[in-house]
Amino acid sequence: MLTFVARRLLLAVPVLLGVVFVVMLTVELIPGDAVALMLGEHATPEAVARLRDYLGLDKPLMVRYAAYVGHLARGDLGRSIQQNRPVVDELADAWPATLELTVAALALAAAAGVAAGVVSAVWPNSLFDAFARVGSLFGLSMPVFWTGLVLIVIFALWLPWLPVGGTGSLGHLVLPAVTLALPSVAMVARMTRSSVLDVLREDYVRTARAKGVAERLVVSKHALRNAAIPILTLLGLQAGQLMGGAVLTETVFAWPGLGRLMVKAIFARDYVLLQGAVLLFALAFVLINLAVDVAYGALDPRIARQG
Amino acid sequence: MAVDVRVLAGPAAVVAPASLSADAWQRFRRSRLAMIGLVVVALLVVAAAGAPWLAPADPAKQSLIEKRARPGGKFILGADEFGRDILSRLIFGSRVALLVGGLSVTIALAVALTLGCLAGFAGGVVDVVVMRIVEILLAFPYLLLAIAVVSALGPGVLNTTIAVGIWGAPTATRLVRSAVLTARESEYARAARALGASAARVLTRHVLRNVLPTVIVYSTLFMANAILVEAALSFLGLGAQPPTPSWGLMVSSGRDFLLVAPHIATVPGLAIMVAVLGFNLLGDGLRDALDPRLRGQL
Amino acid sequence: MTRARFALAALIALGVAGAACLVAPAPADAQKPGGTLTIVRPTDPVSLDPQLETTAPGAWVYFNMLEPLLTMDEKMQIRPALAASYEVMSPTKVRFKLRPGVKFHDGTPLNAAAVKFTFERALRGNPPARWASLAGPLAGAEVVDDLTVDVMTREPYGPILRTLAMYCTGIVSPTAVQKMGENFSRAPVGTGPFRFVEWKTNTHVILERNPDYWGDRAPLDRVIFKVVPEEGARMIALQTGDADMVLLPAPAQLPMLKRDPKYVVHEVVGGRVVFAGMNAAVPPLDDVRVRTALLYAVDRKAILENILEGSAVAARGVLAPSVFGFKDMQLDRLYPFDRAKAKALLAQAGYTPGPDGMLQKGGQKLSLSWLAARGRYPKDGEITEAIQAMFKDVGVEAKVQFLEWATVFTQFRSAAFKDHMFTLGWVTSNADADYSMYALFHSKQVPPTGWNTSRYANPKVDVLVEQARRNLNQTEREKQYGEAQDILAREMVWIPVYNTKEIVVTRAGVKGFTIHPVEYNLWLGKVWLDK
Repeated sequence: MLTFVARRLLLAVPVLLGVVFVVMLTVELIPGDAVALMLGEHATPEAVARLRDYLGLDKPLMVRYAAYVGHLARGDLGRSIQQNRPVVDELADAWPATLELTVAALALAAAAGVAAGVVSAVWPNSLFDAFARVGSLFGLSMPVFWTGLVLIVIFALWLPWLPVGGTGSLGHLVLPAVTLALPSVAMVARMTRSSVLDVLREDYVRTARAKGVAERLVVSKHALRNAAIPILTLLGLQAGQLMGGAVLTETVFAWPGLGRLMVKAIFARDYVLLQGAVLLFALAFVLINLAVDVAYGALDPRIARQG
Repeated sequence: MAVDVRVLAGPAAVVAPASLSADAWQRFRRSRLAMIGLVVVALLVVAAAGAPWLAPADPAKQSLIEKRARPGGKFILGADEFGRDILSRLIFGSRVALLVGGLSVTIALAVALTLGCLAGFAGGVVDVVVMRIVEILLAFPYLLLAIAVVSALGPGVLNTTIAVGIWGAPTATRLVRSAVLTARESEYARAARALGASAARVLTRHVLRNVLPTVIVYSTLFMANAILVEAALSFLGLGAQPPTPSWGLMVSSGRDFLLVAPHIATVPGLAIMVAVLGFNLLGDGLRDALDPRLRGQL
Repeated sequence: MTRARFALAALIALGVAGAACLVAPAPADAQKPGGTLTIVRPTDPVSLDPQLETTAPGAWVYFNMLEPLLTMDEKMQIRPALAASYEVMSPTKVRFKLRPGVKFHDGTPLNAAAVKFTFERALRGNPPARWASLAGPLAGAEVVDDLTVDVMTREPYGPILRTLAMYCTGIVSPTAVQKMGENFSRAPVGTGPFRFVEWKTNTHVILERNPDYWGDRAPLDRVIFKVVPEEGARMIALQTGDADMVLLPAPAQLPMLKRDPKYVVHEVVGGRVVFAGMNAAVPPLDDVRVRTALLYAVDRKAILENILEGSAVAARGVLAPSVFGFKDMQLDRLYPFDRAKAKALLAQAGYTPGPDGMLQKGGQKLSLSWLAARGRYPKDGEITEAIQAMFKDVGVEAKVQFLEWATVFTQFRSAAFKDHMFTLGWVTSNADADYSMYALFHSKQVPPTGWNTSRYANPKVDVLVEQARRNLNQTEREKQYGEAQDILAREMVWIPVYNTKEIVVTRAGVKGFTIHPVEYNLWLGKVWLDK
C-alpha cells in the first residue's frame, strides 16, 4: 500500500510538468498576447514591445518553460502578468474559498445523492423514484446562473434569510454550495441508483436473501459495498469538476475562488497565473484520484491485488 | 464479506446471445418510463428534421418593437430580446441540441471506451501511462481547450461540440476503466476464462456488458452537461454563431432578463431538461432491457 | 410714478421675490457626517496605481485617493486641483503653481519635486506607466521652486491641459513609493479626500476619510467597494440594502427604478461611442455608395429604444459630446433610416436582387464578413445581431463571427485585418478630440501603429488633424476639428450606434453625489448619507 502511494506521488511529477507544458504551449498557439491585451486599445506598439521585453515574454517557449520549471523547483510560481503580483499570493487569496465551496458542495452531493439513489434503487419506479429522477434532472439541466439567481431571489430577497453574495459566515456558504451541488446530486443519485440496482440483481444478493439475511443488511452490507466503486469514481471526478467548474457559481454569488481567477487569466492570456492555478488543480486531481484508487483497493481486494 | 457470498453463486449467468434482442425489446416495451423516453427522443428528432415546416415563424426574423413579448397570442412561447419567436427558435434549436448532445457524447465515449478498456484490461504500464494522460487532461481548463479548438478549427457549433466531447472524455475514461477493472476480476470472467474462452471473448461478452450500464447512465447525464457547456461557450462567442438558435445560447442570453422577462431563459432551459429527461429514460430503459439478469423477471 | 403704478410695481416685485424664494434652491439639507457607503461593481481592480491600471475598476477607487494637477468638472471645464494656477510659457511648456500646505496621506508635503517624481516614474520608469501611452508627447516636469513646476512636451501639444486633468495623472508621494516599492500599487498614498485602508483581493477595497484633506473634508467615514460580478445580484443587493450604490446597473431595470422613490438613478451622457465599423480598404466597402447605403439600412432609433432601453443615447457623431472639439454630425439628417434609399443606392452601385432576394453583382452575392466579441461593451453582441438582421432586410448578407475578445483584439490590431465589418467602442481618454481623431482617422494610424481600423484615408483630414494637434490655440483647434468632422460625415466609415451614459443607481438616502461624464471620475468627496 505504501509503495503504491509513494509510486503514484512520484508519478504525479511528470503529470504536473506535463500539464504546465501543455498549457504553456496552448496559450502560445492561440491568438492573443497578454501584454497587448493588458495595455489595451490605448497603448502604442512601442509601449507593448517595451513591456514584453521587461517581462521577458519575448523569449522562445522552451526557454520560458525551462525557466518556469527551474523556479518551480524552488517553490516560485512566478508573477502574474496582468496582476503584477506573485502567483503564490494570488492563489493563496483564492484557494481557501474554493476549498470551502468544493468540500461543502461535494459533501452535499454525496449525502443527498447517495441517499436519494439508494432509496430509488430499493423502491425502483416508485413515486419517490420518479420524483427524484425528474427533480434531480431539473437541477442538472437548468444552468447555474438560473438556479443561483432563483435561489437568491427566494432566500435573500423574498425571505431575507441569507445574504446575497460574498463570503464571511456559514450563511454565505449555503446558497452557493447548494447551487453548485445540484447538478452533482443528480449525477450521483443516478449513478448510485444504477449501481445499486445492478448489485441488487446479482445472484449473490438473491442468495443472501434466500439465506434469510435481513433486507437492511443486504442493502448496506452487500449491495452498497459492491456498488461503491463506480459511485466513488464519480464522486472523485465530481470533486474535480466542482473545483474547476465553479466559475459560474462564483460569478453569481461573488465567491472569490479559483474558478473566476482561472477564467480571467485565460481571457487575459496571463499564462503564468493560469499555470499556477492549473498546477494546483492538477495536484488536487492527482491526490483525489489516488484517494479513489486506494479506496478501490479497500473496497474490492481483487483490485488491490493488481496494484 | 461479499466474496464468500459470490463463490456460492457460480457461473450461472453466461449468456447465450440469440434471443437477447427480442427479449430486450419485450422488456423495453413493458417499461412505461422507457417508452416515454423513446417518444420524447423521437419528438426531438422529428422537430429537428421537420423544423422548416413545423416552426410557425422565421427563427431569425427580428421585431425589436415586440421584444420580450410574454407567451401567448402571436408568440405562443413568447419572444426573445430581439422580438424573435421563441417557439420557432426552440424547434430549430433542437438540431443544435441533438448535434451537441449526440456528437459530444459519441466523441467522449469513443475515446473513453478505447482508452478505458485499454487501461483496465491491459493493466501495468499501459494503465499507468493512460491514467496519467487522463489526469493531465482533467486538469486542463476546458475553457482554454475550447478556445484552442476554436482557434484551430474556427467558431461554430460543430467545433465547439468537438471541444465539449474532448472535455468529457477523461471522466468517461475513468468510469469505463473502473467498470472494466471490476468486471475483469469478477467470478463470471474468471469462470469463462477457466472454461477456455479467449480473452477477446471474455472482453466482449462480459466486460463490455458490465461497462454498458455505467456508460449509458453517464452518457445521458453528460448530454445535459454538454448542452450547458456549449451554452456557456456560446455566450462567450465560441459556439453557435448568430442567428443560429441554440437552446444553450438562448438560456445564456436570457440571463440579463431573468428578473424582468424570465421566460426567455426558462423556456429553453425547460426544453433542455425535457430532452435530457427523454434521453435519460431512454437510457435507463435500454440498460434495463439489455441486462440479462432481468431475464425471466418480467 | 403714480401711486397705482407704484403699487403695481411693488406687487410685481413682491411676486417676483416670492417666486424666487420658491424657485431658488432650498438651503442644502444639513450634511450629516459619518457613515459607510457600500458600492458594488463587477470587477476587482488589477492595481490601485495608475502606473499599472488605467481601467475603470482601479480608477474608480484611486480617483478618490490620488489627485492630478488639474481636473475637469461635470461640465467638462478645466478646473484647478493640486495646481492653483497655471501659465502657458511656450508651445511646449506650461508652468503650474501648486497649492501650498497640501500633505500626502503619509504626512509628507506636496511639492514640485513630487510632481517631477510622478512624471519621471510614469514616463521613464521600468516599465513605464500604463498611462504614459495616453499622454502623447509629454516629456516630463522640471522643478522651478518648491511650489512651482514646469511641465514640458516634446513638441507643441494642444491637448496638454486636458491630458494633465486626466484621472490617471494623480500625483503620488515619492516617500511612499520609495519606501513601499511594489506594495505601493496595492496601497497607494496620495492627497485625496480618502485614504487607503485595506484591499482583500476579489472581495473588497476599503477607504476611509482623510482628516487632513486640503479641501472640504469628506462627510463619509468609510467607503467600501465590493465585487459583485453578476448584474442581477448587484441589483438585488441594492434592494436588500446590502449596497448603497450600484455601478453598471442592469439597463432593463432602470425604468422601474426611476419610478421608485426609494432609489435615485443618476445619469449623464458619457464619453464612449460604440459603433459598427466598416473596413474601407476591402471592396465593396471602398465604395462610398455602399457604405452610405448600409448607414441608411440601420434603424438606430429602434436599437436604442429596444436594446439599450435608455441606458445609452444616440451617437451624434464619432465623438462624444463631452469631448472638446465635438461636432454634431447630424446623422439623423444625413443618414435617416430609409430602406428604400439604401436599396436604391446599392442598385446604383450595381447590386441587384438575386433569385433568393439577396443582392448580388455579376453573380457574386453581396456578403460581408463581420468580426465581433460579446460582452466587451454593453450590448455589443446584441447590436451586431440586430444590425445583421437589418442588413438582411435590404438584401445584404452579413456573416457574423463572434470570438472571444483576446482573439478579436489580436485581429483588430493586425495589419492583415480583412473583415468588412467590426464592432468596437472607443473612449476619448483625455476628453480632447485629438486623442480620437488622430488615432482613429489619420491615414498613417492604421493598426498596429494606431487605431484606424477602418483604413480611412483623406489627406485633407490628415492635415487638419495634424495641425490641430500642434496648435495651442483652443478656438482654432475647435474649428479645425469641426472641419475634419464635416468631411468625415460625408464619407462615413462607421455606423455610430450609441454614446454611453454613465449611470449609477443609489438608494435615496445617498446624497451629494454628482455623476460625471467621464466614467472614471467617480468623486465621493461630497457624498453624505441621510439615514
